[in-house]
Amino acid sequence: MSAAPPRVEMRGICKRFGEVVALDRVDLEAAKGEIHALLGENGAGKTTIMNILSGLYRSDAGEIRVDGRPAPIRSPKDAIGFRIGMVHQHVELIGNFTALENILLGHEGTGWVLRAESQRGAVEEVASRYGLSVPLNERVKALPVGIQQKIEILKALYRGADILILDEPTTMLTPQEVDALFATIRKIAEGGLTVIFITHKIKEVLANSDRITVFRGGCRVGTVRRPEASRELLVQMMVGEREFPAGAGRPGAVASSSAGPPALSVRDLSLRNADIHLLKDVSFDVPAGAIVGLAGVSGNGQRELAEAIAGLLPVQAGEVTIRGRSVEKLTVAARIALGLVLIPQNRIDEGILPSLSLAENFVLGLHPYIFKRSGFFEQGTAHEMARIAIRDYNVLTRNERVPSAHLSGGNIQKVIVARAMALFRAIGGGILIANNPTRGLDIMAAAFVHARFREVREGGGGVLLISEDLDELCSICDRILVIHSGEILGGFDGPDYDVYRIGELMAGVRRRQP
Amino acid sequence: MKGAWSEEDRRHAAALAATYAAAAALALLAAALFILAFGGSIRVAFATVLQASLGTWGGFAQTLNKFCPLLLGSLAVAFGMRGGHFNIGVDGQIYAGAIGMAAVAFGLEGLNLPWPVFVPLGILGGVLAGAFWGLIPGVLRVRYRVSEIFVTVMLNFVALYLVDYLANGPWNDPLAGDAITVPIPKSAVLPQMLPKSGGHMGPLIALAAAAGIYFMMSRTIIGYEIRAVGDNPTAARFGGININRITLVIMPVCGALSGLAGAIEVSGFHQTLLLGLTGPTGAPNYGAMSILIAVIGRRHPLGVILAAAVFAILMVGSDSLQRSIGLPGSAVFVFQAIIVLTVLYVEARRQLST
Repeated sequence: MSAAPPRVEMRGICKRFGEVVALDRVDLEAAKGEIHALLGENGAGKTTIMNILSGLYRSDAGEIRVDGRPAPIRSPKDAIGFRIGMVHQHVELIGNFTALENILLGHEGTGWVLRAESQRGAVEEVASRYGLSVPLNERVKALPVGIQQKIEILKALYRGADILILDEPTTMLTPQEVDALFATIRKIAEGGLTVIFITHKIKEVLANSDRITVFRGGCRVGTVRRPEASRELLVQMMVGEREFPAGAGRPGAVASSSAGPPALSVRDLSLRNADIHLLKDVSFDVPAGAIVGLAGVSGNGQRELAEAIAGLLPVQAGEVTIRGRSVEKLTVAARIALGLVLIPQNRIDEGILPSLSLAENFVLGLHPYIFKRSGFFEQGTAHEMARIAIRDYNVLTRNERVPSAHLSGGNIQKVIVARAMALFRAIGGGILIANNPTRGLDIMAAAFVHARFREVREGGGGVLLISEDLDELCSICDRILVIHSGEILGGFDGPDYDVYRIGELMAGVRRRQP
Repeated sequence: MKGAWSEEDRRHAAALAATYAAAAALALLAAALFILAFGGSIRVAFATVLQASLGTWGGFAQTLNKFCPLLLGSLAVAFGMRGGHFNIGVDGQIYAGAIGMAAVAFGLEGLNLPWPVFVPLGILGGVLAGAFWGLIPGVLRVRYRVSEIFVTVMLNFVALYLVDYLANGPWNDPLAGDAITVPIPKSAVLPQMLPKSGGHMGPLIALAAAAGIYFMMSRTIIGYEIRAVGDNPTAARFGGININRITLVIMPVCGALSGLAGAIEVSGFHQTLLLGLTGPTGAPNYGAMSILIAVIGRRHPLGVILAAAVFAILMVGSDSLQRSIGLPGSAVFVFQAIIVLTVLYVEARRQLST
């Protein structure tokens, strides 16, 4: 077989960021018509190598070939020239533009005027070829994330990409949307295109790929064909010879004592923005010594609920009590003092101070407590605490003095969780509200975070875990509430959950009353 | 601030030094071309600038006298920027501080206070007046979400015309002419540091203020909260920091720093209240220069001290260029603009390459 050269071939790719080696002599190849999965934990190098292939980063060493010919890719423009297109983890569309305008943006031909209509036919043609039906006239911000992602894919295809890279494409999607996405991907691959998708979810890889390349610590561990892959093999390749933290597994019985007030109690909470109900008569309790999960598709009021409880958003009606104390009109700081700790949904925008050092980030929120005695900001104390957190949470960083923006997303999340746990201890417990705390974390780190939540439960604290990952909720929660369009549609007691029923409620399907 | 320098700190410092060396080289080159275009001699021009600003005691004193308001003004801008607030009102706050100083000087004249009491009281009056001038935009921002940029700019005019009124009206010195008040009493005059050359104590006060700001930013809880708000207000809010409270600290402190500059200008330099306090006529005002210095000095007290010194040297040296090579005095502002643009350019390049 005088094999045709692979569509994409990367040889000996090296990339360093300062002293951190992100990629160490990595080889990778992908064939025509193939769905190739890049699997690995956070910081393993999968996104970095794809950023190199799509021209966002330049490699320090190594060679890229497309169809056997050298492809010197130095910019995203070069990459498009080689028909390589990448869809990033977070949707990068302009909310106020229509889908069509977004697709044509930067590609609208010569001249100053955007003549979207003239190219509508061409876009529709590409869309129908791959079964990507999207409402081209809708403003993007009004569309669900799953559709926005389709628009991103269509945009890449319309620009002529036939090597399509998808970075963690399923993070924000419902199970149904995930299925639809992979059906689309399969169709694209069957059309002769090469699809490379990055993920850390083994289940997705096994269900949807032709070949799998596993990364660990900036190196390629190996490439396996789908038929030869198994869950056990992939886990072993991903994590190597390491022990899982203790305490992983099924949730235990509810340890809550009926004595004493609940850690958190919410009654008839309503929040409106103009005519839109963001939250509608939300009522629930988080008992002390329990982990309560809040399931729901992103954007159904989870963020607003967390922020309203934390005092970041003013509410129109309702009452919130923390450990039996009403928090009405209290500031954020006063609610923290009562025992409330929030892990925000968006770690970059809401969690970190990008140009301040990791140590200074670590003490944010903690600072009124740890510096109380001297009244001064003690760099030494901050650095010492940050060093301990770096060690305990295995944060990948040179030291605690680097600006936090230099850390990868997963490591930033570890710092935020470590900080929340330290604050929780400092204020003597209460209620921890965690909004998607394990998003972007690798298996080990997620298990570690879950173990911390269990500690909170065992210590008599309450946890409200907001997550889009139903598997995560089922594995750790004592009770799961489902939110849809700002309303709590139901509650389920663990440890055995009816996932399909929860899924129905997540989609807003109420069961008719008998 | 920290103990031993690590490898990475050293590398960072080296990169920073390289940025500024490159910017300085580019700026000097551009300045040299500019001088050549005017038919002047480069060597003579540079020698004149340095000789005039640093080579004589008189010139040195003048440079120090300019350095004082430039440093305090740029601290007032840099401090605000660190906390995410844009103080474009340095000129107005300088005028407010000058009014505060003059009011104390004229108001308490009859008490015959000795200078060690009178001067600090007057300066305190200036600081408080400046702080009040800074508090106004702070309150408006907190209460009505009005951008402090607009309010500080508009208050520049209010303060200017207030001085115009006072200097032409109630406090006017009919012998001296328009827009100037009678001299403040001798015991309200700031003592001289270089009596023969006319250098007052102001620069020492300004350096002490810079040290105070440095300490506040790096060692106090409020300083940390200010930096947190400046870096990411949303995250700071999530961390329990009350941003309104921070605004109500930042803006008066900004105003107090500029107000201190105004008080020193009255007490140490002009010894009267007059229009034109905020810089020589025909030149950009201290307020505008302060923004440039704050940016070039990377909003850090130490950087601001260095940048303010360079600007003071250029300002004083520029006057002599006219005499030595017939270059217009305003040429120096072209150089300053070139320095700012080159620093911004080199900095942007450096950030892109990493």
